[in-house]
Amino acid sequence: MELTESGIDLERRRFIAFALTPSLIVLFAVAVLPAIYLIVTSLTPFQLTTPGSATDFSEPLRNYGLLPGDPRFVNSLAVQAKLSVASVFFQVLLGMLLALLLNVPSRFVEFARTFFLIPMVLPPIVVAVIWKLIYAPDISPLYYAAQALHLTLPALTSSVDFALTSIVIADTWEWTPFTFLMVLAALQTIPDEYSEAALVDGASKLQIFWYVTLPFITPILVISGMFRLIDSVKAFPLIFLLTGGGPGTITEVTNYYAYLLAFDTNEIGYSSAVTVVMLLLVCGISLGLVWMGRRKEALA
Amino acid sequence: MKTASRVSSITRRKLLKASAASAALAAFPAPLIAQTKPFAGVTLHGASFQHRFFTLLQKYIPEFEDKTGMKVDLQLSALPVYNQQANLELSSGGSAYDFVNVTFTLATRWIAAGLLANLDEFTGDANLTPAEWNPKDFVDGAQVPYRDAKGATYGYSWEGGAMLMGLSRMDLMEKKGLKIPKTFAELQQVCAEINGTDGVSGLVSWFLHNWNLPPYIQGFGGNIFRNPPSDPMPALNTPEAIQGVEFYANLLKSAPKGVLTYTEDQARQAMLTGRANIFIHSSAWVTPILLSDESKVKETSRVVRSPAGPVHDYPASNSQGLGIPKNAKNQKAAWEFIKWALSPEISMKLVKEHGHSSICRRSIITSEDYRKLNTVNGQDLGALYLEVLELPGKGENYMAYRTSKEFPIVGDVLNKAFEQVATGQLPAKDAMNAAQDQAIAALRRAGTKL
Repeated sequence: MELTESGIDLERRRFIAFALTPSLIVLFAVAVLPAIYLIVTSLTPFQLTTPGSATDFSEPLRNYGLLPGDPRFVNSLAVQAKLSVASVFFQVLLGMLLALLLNVPSRFVEFARTFFLIPMVLPPIVVAVIWKLIYAPDISPLYYAAQALHLTLPALTSSVDFALTSIVIADTWEWTPFTFLMVLAALQTIPDEYSEAALVDGASKLQIFWYVTLPFITPILVISGMFRLIDSVKAFPLIFLLTGGGPGTITEVTNYYAYLLAFDTNEIGYSSAVTVVMLLLVCGISLGLVWMGRRKEALA
Repeated sequence: MKTASRVSSITRRKLLKASAASAALAAFPAPLIAQTKPFAGVTLHGASFQHRFFTLLQKYIPEFEDKTGMKVDLQLSALPVYNQQANLELSSGGSAYDFVNVTFTLATRWIAAGLLANLDEFTGDANLTPAEWNPKDFVDGAQVPYRDAKGATYGYSWEGGAMLMGLSRMDLMEKKGLKIPKTFAELQQVCAEINGTDGVSGLVSWFLHNWNLPPYIQGFGGNIFRNPPSDPMPALNTPEAIQGVEFYANLLKSAPKGVLTYTEDQARQAMLTGRANIFIHSSAWVTPILLSDESKVKETSRVVRSPAGPVHDYPASNSQGLGIPKNAKNQKAAWEFIKWALSPEISMKLVKEHGHSSICRRSIITSEDYRKLNTVNGQDLGALYLEVLELPGKGENYMAYRTSKEFPIVGDVLNKAFEQVATGQLPAKDAMNAAQDQAIAALRRAGTKL
């Protein structure tokens, strides 16, 4: 029996479905089920010491109704926005500058590139401990250096003016290598002919960067910025170890607030509602950026 | 014939053996024989948070297993993890654990919710508890959190923390003509005068303000709740509470930079190296200033009572207890373990062989052996420890705020408000007014009727 074109299509679809099914099952079990449980829990007043509260659906939207009137939740969103925007901006900018500097064929530079990648591959809690030591006034080399220069530094992690900045600096140190790596890869795909032609036409280095290099690497800058923006909500270890959300609520981002609600005050249901809102915001931002990317492609 | 005789003699021998066995059985009744390994085959499941007490106890557990025939499966986790696990297990009516640590801060809510077994049923039965175990030997102040309103007992304390004041640089103080502070006002003065001298900070503290701050609030006559545990209305914006917050925030001006985010270890190091003069914390943290090998200030240190406030002298104290979940499968075996772990013999072993001093049995704390091991620079640290541990059991239970089920929520709000005051973000009055509103809103959100 001869297979028709639609028959081949059907066979191919069946094979793809067959091959994908195990992965989809695993994905469903490890990602979708917990998310469903989180959403279900957010519809209850679940508290660990109140028996039966996990299955009380009498006022399913109560937690969500309380969120807008909770000043700490609203503040945590603002803190998260400040932290994300500042850290992503610096990570993209510094990553790009480093990539431009180190995009030269040299053995030393190759070694230097590897060196710059170290912060990114360290476990987040190790990064947090490193910065805890740097920011601890009584043992930090930073403070010894400042003292030698007759400078007085405030206690960075417990200062109203510097606490959030200290988190931004540590997060930028940890994740700039990511944008650096992405931009460096993009730079190495730019054909030399373009810049050589521009050079022959008398363009300055700045003009070459602006009119030749930048248009090439812009999509990568956007993509790495997008990844970092989504990932920036995971700055938890730094906040947990460096500031504990303080002083006051100055560095209390949404996921840290959700953690306190669940693990300090046992409000599991309310904490789940906070987490669901955060999840929706991250999904919203991701979809928005994907839509923007597609629109740009369509226009091109 | 030979064979017949052999058969006959074997039969006689068997008969003799059987007679001897019958006689033995008659002399030692069966239950007594069974009691040599009364829990053979039982596996006892218990859980607590990681603490030196359990690490030390684990060395002796094989002896207990040999004696009773049971196996002990003791799970130890980090404190927050343990609290979550135990909360979930107990509130869902599970029977995974036969004995648990009754965490000080969770005791009241677990007892009120009926999640623990009444231990009076075990201590009241002479077959289960010999008179020499003596439940009354446990310091009353340490036992207060483990009793319900009617006085029934749901836990026995294995560890006590009593707030004391450690001073590391008496030499510096004497040079300046300063005496050990006994009141809040004197404390403020000594801290301010020492601060900056020879690079020494006046005092050091650490980030858990809801442990460090309440004694100041109470010292001025305030409290965290209006009347805990019966009236859990927060009392964060009373004039006394505001005064306490202002006082402690001022005191921290004599502390090292970054003290608001200091961990206990950082604070302890500052004391051990003589970089800070005063540390007010649990005896288990303060006394190593004198006793630790790392200490550079052994000769110039003192450990004394915390200064008294103008209205009250309420140094904080706490204890951790062992209890049995209501739905535990092996309650009698669990009681056997608790009885053994908190027996005078094991307690004394821990003191003598490991220097573990935060025992809650009065007979041990007041013993000559304990006194010998815990007298340093002429100071009887055990007497100080006992005095503070006893206080909440005498008169007003001023530590009731700490075991109220509403405390985690209000304590978190208090922490944030205090940091706002200490860093100058808000005046104390404004911060505490806002904290009061937030605490009420958060409690109502959590279902507390105020």
